[in-house]
Amino acid sequence: MSDIQRYLLDYDRNKQEATAVAQQSAKRLENGELKLLTLIGELGEYLNSEDATVRSRTVGYLAEVLAAVPQKVLSLQQRNLLCDFVLSRIEDRGSLGSCARALIALEERGKWENERVTKIMESLLEDTHPLSQYKLQSERYPVLRLIDMMMAKYRDALRNLHDSSPDFMSKFILYFDGEKDPRNLMIVFAILKVPMTEWSIGADAQLLFDAVFNYFPITFRPRPEDPYGITAQDLKDRLRECIASTPDFAPYAFPALLDKLDSTSMNTKRDVLQAITATASEYGHQTMSLYSITLWDALKFEILNVQEEDLAEEALNGLAAIAKTLSQGTAGPFEAYLRPIMKECNEHLEDAPTKQSQASARILSKIADVSAGVCNTLLSGILPHLLRLFQTADTIAKRRGLLEVMVQMIRANIHVYGDWRSIGTAGEHPPVNTLIQFKDQALEVMLNGLETAPVKEVSFRMVCLDGLLRLAQVRELLSDEDIGRIIELFHSIVIHEESYGKDEVKEAAISGLVDIAHQKPSLVVDKAFPAFMAQLPDSDSDGSKGYVQILEAFAKLASEERVFDTVIVRLKNKFHTAVKQNASRTYIVALLSAILYALNANIGKVEQAPGATLYYQDIVLPLLRMASGTEGERPKAFEDERTLDLVGRICNVILRYQSVELQSQISPELYTLFKGVPQDRVPPFNSSTPPEQTKTMVVSTHLLASFRKETALPCEVQVLISSLVDFSQQTYISSPVRSASLRQISLLFNKYIPTPSLRTCMEPLINPPVDLFSTEKLDPSRIRIIFACLRALLLRNSPSLSSLYPRLLSFLSHPTQGATVARGFATLLQPDDLLTKQNHCQISGLHKQKSFALLVPSITQSFREASPEMKPNYLIALSGILKWIPFEVVVEEVVQLAPLLLQSLDLRGEDLVKEAAIGTLTSIVQESPKAVEGHAGALIARLLDNSTPSPSRNAPMAAAGVTESTTTPARVRAMALVCLTLVAQKFRQEIVLPYRKQVVKMLTGALDDKKREVRSAAVKCRTTWIVIDEPGDDD
Amino acid sequence: MELDKDNANPTILNPSDLPSRRRESSVKKREDGGTGLFDALVPSYTYLSDPFEPSVSSCDSDDDSVEDIDELEIYDLISSISDPEHPLSLGSLAVVNLPDIHIYPPTSPHSKISTVVVEITPTITHCSLATVIGLGVRVRLEQALPPRFRVDVRVKKGTHSTDEAVNKQLGDKERVAAALENDTLMDVIRRMHATCE
Repeated sequence: MSDIQRYLLDYDRNKQEATAVAQQSAKRLENGELKLLTLIGELGEYLNSEDATVRSRTVGYLAEVLAAVPQKVLSLQQRNLLCDFVLSRIEDRGSLGSCARALIALEERGKWENERVTKIMESLLEDTHPLSQYKLQSERYPVLRLIDMMMAKYRDALRNLHDSSPDFMSKFILYFDGEKDPRNLMIVFAILKVPMTEWSIGADAQLLFDAVFNYFPITFRPRPEDPYGITAQDLKDRLRECIASTPDFAPYAFPALLDKLDSTSMNTKRDVLQAITATASEYGHQTMSLYSITLWDALKFEILNVQEEDLAEEALNGLAAIAKTLSQGTAGPFEAYLRPIMKECNEHLEDAPTKQSQASARILSKIADVSAGVCNTLLSGILPHLLRLFQTADTIAKRRGLLEVMVQMIRANIHVYGDWRSIGTAGEHPPVNTLIQFKDQALEVMLNGLETAPVKEVSFRMVCLDGLLRLAQVRELLSDEDIGRIIELFHSIVIHEESYGKDEVKEAAISGLVDIAHQKPSLVVDKAFPAFMAQLPDSDSDGSKGYVQILEAFAKLASEERVFDTVIVRLKNKFHTAVKQNASRTYIVALLSAILYALNANIGKVEQAPGATLYYQDIVLPLLRMASGTEGERPKAFEDERTLDLVGRICNVILRYQSVELQSQISPELYTLFKGVPQDRVPPFNSSTPPEQTKTMVVSTHLLASFRKETALPCEVQVLISSLVDFSQQTYISSPVRSASLRQISLLFNKYIPTPSLRTCMEPLINPPVDLFSTEKLDPSRIRIIFACLRALLLRNSPSLSSLYPRLLSFLSHPTQGATVARGFATLLQPDDLLTKQNHCQISGLHKQKSFALLVPSITQSFREASPEMKPNYLIALSGILKWIPFEVVVEEVVQLAPLLLQSLDLRGEDLVKEAAIGTLTSIVQESPKAVEGHAGALIARLLDNSTPSPSRNAPMAAAGVTESTTTPARVRAMALVCLTLVAQKFRQEIVLPYRKQVVKMLTGALDDKKREVRSAAVKCRTTWIVIDEPGDDD
Repeated sequence: MELDKDNANPTILNPSDLPSRRRESSVKKREDGGTGLFDALVPSYTYLSDPFEPSVSSCDSDDDSVEDIDELEIYDLISSISDPEHPLSLGSLAVVNLPDIHIYPPTSPHSKISTVVVEITPTITHCSLATVIGLGVRVRLEQALPPRFRVDVRVKKGTHSTDEAVNKQLGDKERVAAALENDTLMDVIRRMHATCE
């Protein structure tokens, strides 16, 4: 049996086997077992078959064999013969696709001569025109690939064909007429783009344009399981490239595009606008000069009457692209284009502020952005008129509208000409900036506006302020003296102006100063700093608080790194003066806060400060000495924990990134703080210190927090821990000092216990004599220690948690201390400002998940078994945990948690627990409403109940010691209403609909709440419930 | 091109010039004149406050003070309604203005009913949508105010060519009720309300 016979037999059964047959034939051809002549001879009978399918498959077999034959097996003569043979078969309708594949295979095995290409092309156009007569995509596709290949490799041959035969072009274009398949179209567009861009198309331009524009706009939508990966966007992109490929299309393209711009379909308009932008960039200035004004007249409507924001944006891009192209040509057409634009915009300015004056500002600033030339032309065309209108304007609103336009143009100017620190798009040597002609007038107008307009004209003054800031930024525009005037006005607004409304102007003035400091640091330091300093008293003996806002403003300046050091130095000096002058604690705290804020504002700069320099010597050491009272008497202000806390925080920020060496210099002084006394005479080692001397523990805590793990401690870690445990149980120490000592225990457990000893590190505390977990000895201070230890361990995901947590949970039923333990759970997972990665602590990424998994299931379990009077403790503990757990973790347990959460809403007097419960329920309703839909009735009733100050139903559960008369606070009422709103939005309609009438009625009570916050939530909630059954609210 | 709008180029007020309490509430005035910039330096959950001692701050100390419903609150309720023609709020188009809202206390000591009067100003005197806007404002207030308020919405005198007729329509309970049965009309009003905060 010959190969072709087997191929034809296999073809119907299994296409893969058939292909294998063809590959075998190729193999035999290669090693000479089969002669090419024999192979062709065997085909003869089938090529002449009556059955078209057989004929087609036979050619298909040949194509497959040829594609499988290695290079150089076939001689040039053989290939030529085969080419002629295959070409003679293309007339056979069913075989066209296979012929094309065979030809592609032959070409891959040896380059063709130009005559061959010409012949193939001519035969195709002669015998198979138009291609659309072949109904199968699979027939047409190989032909298109063949033509595409020839276009790519034999461009000259085809071009010669075009040049020598006048009717070739039209035939060639019409050959593809009627193609509809997206895969084929992608190739057709690629093929046609070659003649468009490279050939002289002359009279055929319109035909060629229509051949592609017929497909505009592309409305193709890929099938859901699109197997070919061609999107509408791919087609749109190729089509747009074709439209923009040659200026010869302009006479046809623009009328056609503008006609489609009137379409009601937003997608069509979007395609049109994108095509216009593309053509404007590609057609060149000569062509564009003919159409620029027509296009302006059409595009402006999209901006003046915005339908969709992105269409306006695209229209602006189009206008800018035209300006850019024209600016590369001569001045005449370029100015002819800008003239009507300026005229129209000037007209719209007349009745500012309107929608259209705002649109004009967009147009002007977008076009001005294009180049220095455009920018200057627009400035000289618009600003004189604008300033004239400004002078004669009768309302402030109009003046604001006008200035808004000017400010936008100045912004564009900065883009083109750059600011003081960077050059703009116009490069290093731009033409003279026309803005120079107007700078004085603009400066006067805006300085005057900002200075003299009444304070209630917020938006007008904001525009003036923004404009001044922009003027100060434009590269080489204003003199230092002028910028100085702006700075002076800004800081006098910050310092002297009466507060009004939201103080937007003051805010903007201070951030304006920061921006100017970025451009011109020395000017700000020279002008504004003395003014600020003059407002800060050395002492506040007169009791005025005016310094607060000055300090706030001044501290903000530290965010600009170029003035950061100066800010710090000035604040530090002021602080030392104030201390010397015995200023009040409030003032000292404010100054320290400002220093800390400033340091945080530019934390990078602090971190990079080299070693034991500037900040350590100048700030940390003097502060520590002051805190411990080394240098004479301790300042009065330093006897307060809050002051000492700030001192500690400042030291912490500076020290935590310093080297181990430097930190080790301080660590021996961790508790003595350079006081010059032996360590065993100070707390925590000496537990009989006078109370006021224990307060430095607050500072020590922050120092300990800043240490790296490698920094040596002043004594052995276990000794230190047990000293702290003892010390924290002293009754005479103040509550902050106790908290500080506990926090030190946490820090030590977290940082200084090596991982191998983690499992046993608690042993010394659990065993006698301390006996920390003894039920009999349990008291508040021991509970505190337990939580301090656990907090440190849980952040490290310590394995000891699995044995410690159950012991802790069992305390929830403790007859006297249960409630205290329950409250402690809120501290376990709460965010911490000391145990952080920045403070070199070990924070495991999944610690919340781990603790949740260890604690929550046990709580839900024990809750069910607990006696009624103990139940509230479990709910309180649960809410303390849930408060800090990310919702993704909670969602796993929603089904178990929902009943507990609902019962929490019945608690009386535990407002924080309620808040947490409603918060969690809100997240559940938001994220997985299905989980609680089953409780809809109970949930809605409880939320309604909590939405009014006095509960309607009897409280089933009251936390210990709380009187029945407590009312629901406003915060809880508002939260309940927010949650109830979500219920209406998230639950399925059929679930909530039955409750609608009742809820809407009940909510009238909350509408009359005495608190505004609650009323506003009630309004939102009620309107949401009112519309749930109305169609179209979920569009 | 939607050139069929009654007024295609209305004057627009800047939102920051409009009165509102909604934004004020976020920045309460502080006694020391500062903005509280430094408050965040020491987090509220700082270790210095002891969670084991029952905190006093949890119960709102100012819970007794009563914040009455006033004109500004009414303004906040209706100024964010969208204009049916433009994607802009009635406040920024100056269709509703704070000085044109009045609350009248109960007329007799036996009555609890207060009256809210809102006068709207159409952007142009022949605005065909004045009735729809008035209806939108009225529906909004009826949904958002407690039942002890009677709502009266009318077009400001002299700002509309047919203000008498429009007011008659808006004041007629039966006609308002009939209008609310009209699905197309309710759809327009719902879209106007969609932007309410």
